[in-house]
Amino acid sequence: MRRLRRYAIPFVAWMAVFIVVPTLILLFLSFSDYSLYDGGPFAFTFARFEIFAAPLVLTAIGNSVALAGATTAACFLIGYPVALYLSHLPEKTGKILMSLLIVPLWSNMLLRIVAWEKVFTPDSFFTDLTGLSIDLLGSKTAILVGMVAMYLPFMVFPIYSVLEKLDRGLVEAARDLGADDAQVFLRVIFPLSAGGVLSGVIMTLLPALTSFVLPARLGLGRVPLIGNVIESKLMKEVLGSSGRSINEGALVSLSLMVLSIVLYILATRFDREGETLL
Amino acid sequence: MAKTLITLSGIEKSFDGVKVLSDFNLSIDENEFITLLGPSGCGKTTCLRIIGGFETPDAGTVAIDGRIVNDLEPNQRQINTCFQRYALFPHLDVFENVAFGLRIRKVEKAEIVRRVEETLRLVKLEGYGPRAVSTLSGGQQQRVAIARAIVNRPKVLLLDEPLGALDLKLRQEMQYELKEMQRTLGITFVYVTHDQEEALTMSDKIVVMNQGRILQVGTPEDVYNEPKNRFVANFIGESNIFEGVMREDYLVSFCGREFKCVDRGFAADEPVDVVIRPEDFDFVPPSKAKIVGVVDSLVFRGVHYEINVIVEGREYTIHTTKTRSIGDRVGLAVDPSLIHVMKRDVHA
Repeated sequence: MRRLRRYAIPFVAWMAVFIVVPTLILLFLSFSDYSLYDGGPFAFTFARFEIFAAPLVLTAIGNSVALAGATTAACFLIGYPVALYLSHLPEKTGKILMSLLIVPLWSNMLLRIVAWEKVFTPDSFFTDLTGLSIDLLGSKTAILVGMVAMYLPFMVFPIYSVLEKLDRGLVEAARDLGADDAQVFLRVIFPLSAGGVLSGVIMTLLPALTSFVLPARLGLGRVPLIGNVIESKLMKEVLGSSGRSINEGALVSLSLMVLSIVLYILATRFDREGETLL
Repeated sequence: MAKTLITLSGIEKSFDGVKVLSDFNLSIDENEFITLLGPSGCGKTTCLRIIGGFETPDAGTVAIDGRIVNDLEPNQRQINTCFQRYALFPHLDVFENVAFGLRIRKVEKAEIVRRVEETLRLVKLEGYGPRAVSTLSGGQQQRVAIARAIVNRPKVLLLDEPLGALDLKLRQEMQYELKEMQRTLGITFVYVTHDQEEALTMSDKIVVMNQGRILQVGTPEDVYNEPKNRFVANFIGESNIFEGVMREDYLVSFCGREFKCVDRGFAADEPVDVVIRPEDFDFVPPSKAKIVGVVDSLVFRGVHYEINVIVEGREYTIHTTKTRSIGDRVGLAVDPSLIHVMKRDVHA
C-alpha cells in the first residue's frame, strides 16, 4: 500500500490546486470584505449574508428550488418506469438500450442546449423538419423541458442498476404470499429500489439546482436561477465593477456547496450498502 | 381413504425445446407429506413451480380441491412456498416478513400480531421479531421462511430443497421439526429434495423421478424395499445390482448361480435386474456358501463396517456389524426374501 502511495501524488496535487485552494479562497472571500482588485481590509465579517435578503437572490433561489424540484420530480416520474422496463428486458437488450440513454451525454452539453434552443424557436430549422412551430424560448417551461432532457439519464441509471440486481425470487415470494402486481410493486420492488431513487434524485437535483448555462440560454436570462446570480456576481468583479459582488458571489457559491455536501451525506446515510452509484 | 387434494394429469413442460416433464400424473392427498425425489435436473422443481403457479404447463391440468387452477396466478392459489434460497425480504424485519401475507390479505392488526407471534413461537424464533433478516443464521432464516409461509394457513405448503444450505446436524434437527409441524398443522407438504435420506426420514409418500418422469410412487418402505427398477434401487440407498434371468417363479439366476427368491409372475427366462441391499448379506463359512470371495477393503462407518468383497472379479458391497480382515476368504449368503427381482426398465 505504502509503495503505491506516490502514484497518487499527481491526483492529490491536482485536487489541492484546483479544489482545496479555490475552496479556501471561496471561504476567505465569503467572510471578508477583501476585494479582488481594490484589496481592502481583511476583517472577518458575516455582513455578506445580507445577500440572501436581496429580492433578486430570493427570486433566484425560489426559481432554482422550484425548477430543480420540478425537474427531479419529472425525471423520477418518467425515469422510474423506463428503468423498470429496462430491468425486465434480457440483460443484453437492457444494456444496449441503456447505452442509448448514455451516449448523448458524450456530446457537448452546450451543443445539446443550442439544439433545444432551436426546437423552442418558432420558424427554426426544427419547423422545417417537423412542421412544428414552438415558441417557448424564455419561458420556465423551456428550461424545465431542457433540464429534464439533460438530467433524465442520471435518474434512470442508478434506479436501473438497483432494479437489475433485484432478486426475482423476492417478487415470486411476494406473489406466493398473495400480492397482486400493484402490491408486489409497492411492498417489494419500490422499497428495495429506494436507494437507487435516492441516488437518482441527488444526481438530478444537485446539477439542476446549480445549472446556469441552460437557464441562461433556454430562459434567455428572463428566469434567473441561483447559478446565474453567482455567475453575474463574479463576472461583475471580473469586469472591474466594485462593490462587494465577488464576496457575495463567493458566499452564495459556498452555501450551494454546503447544501450539496449535506445532501450527499444524507444520501450515503440512507444508502449504507453502497449498492447505488453514490 | 384420504381425500385427494391436488391432481396433476398429463402435465407436459418444455423449456427451449427441452422436455422437462412428460406425461406427468400425480395425485396428492390431504395432510400428506409427499416428497419429490430425484437427481438435479429431473424436473422436480418445475413440478413444484407448476403446482405453485409460477410455471404454466404446456399441456395437462392442475386441479386443487377438484377445481382446475391452470389459469390461476400464484397469488390466487391457497398455496404457499418455502423457497430454496428462502427469498426473505431484506427490507423488512423478521416480524414483517412473517406478517407479509397477512397484511396483503388485510387481516386485522391485533390478529396479525397474535398470529405472527404464535407462528414465530412454533418455529422457535420467539422474540426475533424486530431482528433484521440479514443478522440471522442460515437455520434461522430457513425457519423465518417456513413461518412466513405457514402463518397464512395454506392448504398446501411447497418446500423446494429448504434444508439444502444447512449443515448436517441442523438439517437433521429441521427434518424432525418439519415433520412435527406438518403433523400438528395438518397442512399438506409437498417437498422437493435430491437427498434420499431426507426423503426416507420425513415422507408419507415418495415420488422418485428421473428425466421428467415418475419412476415409482410409494411409501418410504416400498421404494426402499421394493424398488421398481435399477434407477430407483441405485438412487435410494446403496445396492448391489446384478443382471440376471428369471428361470421360473421363485427361482432366479445371476452371477452364474441359481437362487431361490420370493418373486413371481415373470416370463420364463426373462432378463431381470436383481437387487440385494448391502445389509442383507450374511457371512457364512466358505464351505457352506454359494458365493465365495476375498475381502478387498474395509471401512468403519460408525454403525457398521462397509466391506467390499471381490467374487470372481465382481465387487460386492456389504454392510455388517461383524468385522473381517482384508484378504480373508469369506462366504456370503442371502435370505431368499431379501433378494429383490425387478423388470428391466427402458427409462432407467
